[in-house]
Amino acid sequence: MASEMASATVKLFYREAIARAVREEMMRDPRVILIGQDVAAMGGSYKEFVGLFEQFGASRVRNTPVAEASMIGLGVGAAAAGMRPLVSITYMDFLMLGLDPLVNYGAKLRYKSGGQLSAPVVVKTTAGAKGQGVAHSQCIESWLMNVPGLKIVAPATPADAYGLLKSALREDGPVLYVDHKRLFPGAGEVPCVEDLIPIGKSILRRHGRDITIVAHSYMVRVAEAAADRLAAEGISCEIIDLRSLAPLDLAAICESVARTSALLTLEEGQIPCGVGGEIAFRVQEELGPVRVARVGALPVPVSSNPVLEAACIPDAERVCQAVRQILSASRNPVRNVSQ
Amino acid sequence: MDTLAILRSMLLIRAFEDALIKRPDHGFQLLSSGQEAVAVGVCAALHDGDQLLSSGRSIGPALARGLDPGIVMAELLGKAAGPCGGKAGRGHLAQPSAGFFGAHAVVAGNLTIAAGVALAMQLQGPSHIVACLFGDGACGAGALHETLNIAALWKLPLLLVCDNNQYSVSTRRSEALAPARLSDLAMPFGIPSATVDGMDVTAVYDAALAFAQRARSGEGPAFLECVSYRFASHSTATRETRSAAELKAARELCPIRRFAAQLEEQGGLTAGIRETLERDVDGQITEAMRFADSAAYPLASEALVDGV
Repeated sequence: MASEMASATVKLFYREAIARAVREEMMRDPRVILIGQDVAAMGGSYKEFVGLFEQFGASRVRNTPVAEASMIGLGVGAAAAGMRPLVSITYMDFLMLGLDPLVNYGAKLRYKSGGQLSAPVVVKTTAGAKGQGVAHSQCIESWLMNVPGLKIVAPATPADAYGLLKSALREDGPVLYVDHKRLFPGAGEVPCVEDLIPIGKSILRRHGRDITIVAHSYMVRVAEAAADRLAAEGISCEIIDLRSLAPLDLAAICESVARTSALLTLEEGQIPCGVGGEIAFRVQEELGPVRVARVGALPVPVSSNPVLEAACIPDAERVCQAVRQILSASRNPVRNVSQ
Repeated sequence: MDTLAILRSMLLIRAFEDALIKRPDHGFQLLSSGQEAVAVGVCAALHDGDQLLSSGRSIGPALARGLDPGIVMAELLGKAAGPCGGKAGRGHLAQPSAGFFGAHAVVAGNLTIAAGVALAMQLQGPSHIVACLFGDGACGAGALHETLNIAALWKLPLLLVCDNNQYSVSTRRSEALAPARLSDLAMPFGIPSATVDGMDVTAVYDAALAFAQRARSGEGPAFLECVSYRFASHSTATRETRSAAELKAARELCPIRRFAAQLEEQGGLTAGIRETLERDVDGQITEAMRFADSAAYPLASEALVDGV
């Protein structure tokens, strides 16, 4: 009976999983507060905070002006002084306006204060292209992967959105939590009982033989669609959903690539200095030369024009092409490709 | 106001910096000499449990807040005995347990942080406030506008103190900032504000005390501009661009000399008391130097501690 309880799930929309995580953590810990644009009576731009204002009131669920630098600064400063704020930045593109308090203060605080202070703040933002143009579509998580002291998580399912957000709100340092616009319409099974997804651990979404595809956030769905098509051609893809970008679960990636001996990295953001470049290099530091390809956005801004947007960001067909190319490059097995 | 304690605090900052700067290994420092009255006047209005944030020009504020000169010297010289283990230096010096939440060396970077600390205090219970010291340079940054707006809306217990030393490195305040008075910046937000002579510790204290009491009673933030002057160049690595005549004239405004003269006139300070204070401060500086000199540098392995 107990094990049945533990494994029981409930189907939740992605936004419902987020609201549940925040609600549970706000009930559990009075230090958790929510700060952001339209988070109070409106319940968040994606309805991901519906009900929280009514339940916890105006002192713990606080609407802000459109002022990302002060929103993040408030969260970081309040965190340093003993609170556990969740700061909602509606679009990841606008994170740029608030990077100073996050990077120059929050991420360095434990170090620069010699352990006297830390900033347990979660900055939650939404990345990805969905028809909104060049300054509302970007995936800039790789920019932040080289900030010491900053953790980054990017769920791909409602269950992970729930479990990672709860873990993030219990971390003792700053965490960047990255949603994706295209994940919000989706639903998925979420454990009925409280569940925490550890930060720094990936998950194997699909077992495969021929190649390892690593992706995060919405691109996990793209990888799954590509793997379905490739299976029809007799190509067996293993898919790792990173879940955490900092720290990276390098051990799990290497374990997989050691078996498949080929690696494809997939991200919606830019390829140069991207998530894939970092993973590809570090895997080869561990394993020696392996066949690698990187797939990411074209090196141009993401237009709101549907034709141009689709052309810019990776889709299943581009992933399939890259996989076929890498697996057919048998004469020079380490000639790596990017597309 | 404990006038002799205030005089002593200003003497301590001046003597501390004089001693620091004589050392060949003083490193990269931003000195507070000339601006002692601002930090000391503001800190005299703060209580235990309040927090002070400062810019990277932190030596005066830290000592005025009552941090031990020995551990401050150790931190500035990179010794492990500093409150931040020598990792912060003057740019990020902090000892929150002593009411000094810390310096932050990004101009205007401490404003939104201070608002966050004030928010935490407001949520955690009544009566404590946050004072945030920043230079005139920060008044050109958007962070001040955002902070004033949210602090006014949320009635944060926040005392914003602009220590206007009239220069951003070499750029005169008149070249960089349009408002006639920097305290005018607070007016559109309905935040009470004042501009006072920052070389007059009594004026700073009186204004800071009134604003601090107001914030403490839940009435919200205030903005205090203190017009001051720094005696040294922007930093120990920055060449002086001001004329010798200008510097000489400014030194005539020395806040320590001025306050001592006031006290003498009022009969509260005699040559004997002054001598005792100075001897006492000298002893404290000697002890601070001895402590810092005898302290060890951190081990190189400390580079990897507290990184995450």
